[in-house]
Amino acid sequence: MKKVTISLLALLGFIFIVPQTGNAIPAFARKYGFNCNMCHTSFIKLNDFGQRYRDYGYQIPGQEGYEKNVFETAPPLAIRTSFGLSLIKSHSTTSGFNIYGFDFLAAGVLHKNISFLMIYTPRIDEPAADYRGSTGGSNPSQLAAVESGNILFSNLITDALNLRIGRFEPAYHAVSSKRSYYINQPYEIYTYATPKINYLFDDNQMGVEASGHFKNGFHYGLGVVNGTGASPDNNKYKDLYLDLYQVFGRGEGQSAGQRIGAFGYLGWQPASLPDPDSSYPVGAEFNGGDNKSFYRVGGDLSLNYKTFNLRALFMQGKDSKAFNDRDSTKDYNYNGGFVELDYAALPNNRLLISATYNMVRPPSYDESNRINAFSGLIRYYLGDWTAVNVALHAEYTHREVGKDQPSKEDIFLLLVDFDF
Amino acid sequence: MGKWGAFLILATLLMPALVLAQGSNPVPITTVNVQMLGPERVGNLPPVIAPVDNPQTADKILLGKKLYFDTRLSQDNTISCATCHSPAMGWSDAGPTSVGINGQKGGRRAPPVSNSAYNPLQFWDGRAPSLEEQAKGPVQNPIEMGNTHEVMVRTLDDIPGYVEEFKAVFGTTPITVDQVAQAIAAYERTVVTTDSPFDRFVRGDRNAMTSQEKKGLEIFNGKGHCTLCHWGSNFSDGRFHNLGVAPMAGAKPDDGRFEITKNPKDKGAFKTPTVRDAALRAPYMHNGSEKDLRTLIQLYDRGGGDDAVNLDALMLPLGLSDEETEALVAFTKRAMVSTNLSVANEKPIPASELPK
Repeated sequence: MKKVTISLLALLGFIFIVPQTGNAIPAFARKYGFNCNMCHTSFIKLNDFGQRYRDYGYQIPGQEGYEKNVFETAPPLAIRTSFGLSLIKSHSTTSGFNIYGFDFLAAGVLHKNISFLMIYTPRIDEPAADYRGSTGGSNPSQLAAVESGNILFSNLITDALNLRIGRFEPAYHAVSSKRSYYINQPYEIYTYATPKINYLFDDNQMGVEASGHFKNGFHYGLGVVNGTGASPDNNKYKDLYLDLYQVFGRGEGQSAGQRIGAFGYLGWQPASLPDPDSSYPVGAEFNGGDNKSFYRVGGDLSLNYKTFNLRALFMQGKDSKAFNDRDSTKDYNYNGGFVELDYAALPNNRLLISATYNMVRPPSYDESNRINAFSGLIRYYLGDWTAVNVALHAEYTHREVGKDQPSKEDIFLLLVDFDF
Repeated sequence: MGKWGAFLILATLLMPALVLAQGSNPVPITTVNVQMLGPERVGNLPPVIAPVDNPQTADKILLGKKLYFDTRLSQDNTISCATCHSPAMGWSDAGPTSVGINGQKGGRRAPPVSNSAYNPLQFWDGRAPSLEEQAKGPVQNPIEMGNTHEVMVRTLDDIPGYVEEFKAVFGTTPITVDQVAQAIAAYERTVVTTDSPFDRFVRGDRNAMTSQEKKGLEIFNGKGHCTLCHWGSNFSDGRFHNLGVAPMAGAKPDDGRFEITKNPKDKGAFKTPTVRDAALRAPYMHNGSEKDLRTLIQLYDRGGGDDAVNLDALMLPLGLSDEETEALVAFTKRAMVSTNLSVANEKPIPASELPK
């Protein structure tokens, strides 16, 4: 019984501790008087124009230098949150009403070709304040964080070179986890934590990223980051990544055009702490010693037909054996990915239906962490010609962890997701 | 990579950023004025503001109206402003492009005079910064009225009725081309089409539009991306966009705004027309290449026309369903059409009632 309770609470903790935050920024809709679906297929996923607008540094293409800046408009602030009911079935069944995240967002143009994005997620203790789990009695359902805080210098070379500095969603998130329709279900390959390494593919990173695109549909993103998410860097190296993709046909591959891409990430992490040669105290930056490498490489595609969008991503990861506490004689090799099919229906895409299959394949000696997850959702949007910013959201996931006798869980959410 | 290496990379990348992000290319002042505007929410039209050097007066407006409908301004007395900008045709003409003296066909469609008072720049290519300047243009265009300003003024000076009216309005003689332009512009500033179902809807009459038209408005302002260019109270950004419209069979390529600015970005770009009363003005585009609203919306749905060499970055495929297309058609066809009878039913002044 105790085991069941702990499993259940761990699952609840998982749901609460991984809030699905995102970057729908109704401040822009307010600024221009546009409906949300100017930039979003349906909020929160960007359509082609939304992607282009983001790439141009929150400037309408052709209006660079003439955009009203944040001093000339209403304060560019927005809030997104979700309230609702969850039903979780694993060893037993539980249900409850919850808050699924709360974001403060601010973004806008500061000056010509200089823009910014800030996303702050405040700490939410309730309704999980009473949870006493693996983290020693402190398990807020959302941790306080500056999820994004970056400034973008656009068009250093027109279209071909933009520079983003700060904490941001890196370009190698070919499919954005921050703008996923799914509130509970993450992209498993993004959130898969390999042993003894302080790097998570899903994390926003701190550093600098150059990006750009060309008339022939070729896009690139190139970054230098800490690789430790919001934490200070823990080793003397900077991580590097490259993301390339080509769009065929008119569009950006979000809602029109066909996109195919590849990405690679090369990072270092300390295999021992502290660094005996370091004068830094334990816990400070650069205190890691014996730095070993790891990498992530993969490919992705996004295919569009009418209002169908099929997105797929496959990734191979490899960590140095120095990080492999499962078998220290071998590098930790794993792979996985997902396939997602979205369909928008009804006028102005007020109905959104999605199905996703997630998989993670760890090495054979770590099959207990093998993941298969099938998810589906339906979102119906309320609103009028000025905004469709209230989504009635039903989401279901069947998730299996392990190989021979996997632990199974079924999670059903019914909630209202809105921003303003 | 060491920390100093990373610092060096960051500094190297950041330095040009700070310098280049502030850089700008010189642009014509008219373009700047247009680009400085909006986007703004669509809504009711504000009152027209006349320029300080050409205030509106009742006599001037009436004089302008007479001139507007008077074919004697043209070289062969066959063409008036109203020939190509007819009240009966949404203040444009039957198209696909306009026909001037001796049956000559122009390369472009007549832009509507209605609500032109709200345009920051006039003509498809924005070459005139005011209605007054615009009014002078067609008179001496060899294809349109085929006249000269000097001959036109002499013609009017030989008509005592006009001399009397011009003296009453402007207090001076002889008649000048500027006075003619000012009078016509004063009249055109009264051609404002208001009180469409949309106007009543945004004023609070929730029943002014049908449910299909409301869907159309929502799509217009959302998935349809229409308000990216057709924004504000006049549903036009006053700017210039290349929509990928290919020349009609046998027609010469038209560089549009590029002819004025010589900026390569403006090649094939034409001014955004108002959507107000657009249903009365088929065919569409600067060359009349889209025969009706449905084919026009389908062109936008495809992400623009076939000539994509200098396609505007705002042009992207939309993924509209048939239902959404029909909703947009319905919104444009009825909800955007003015019921302001004094303008919609403007009758030409018969030749017999013009000054003699």
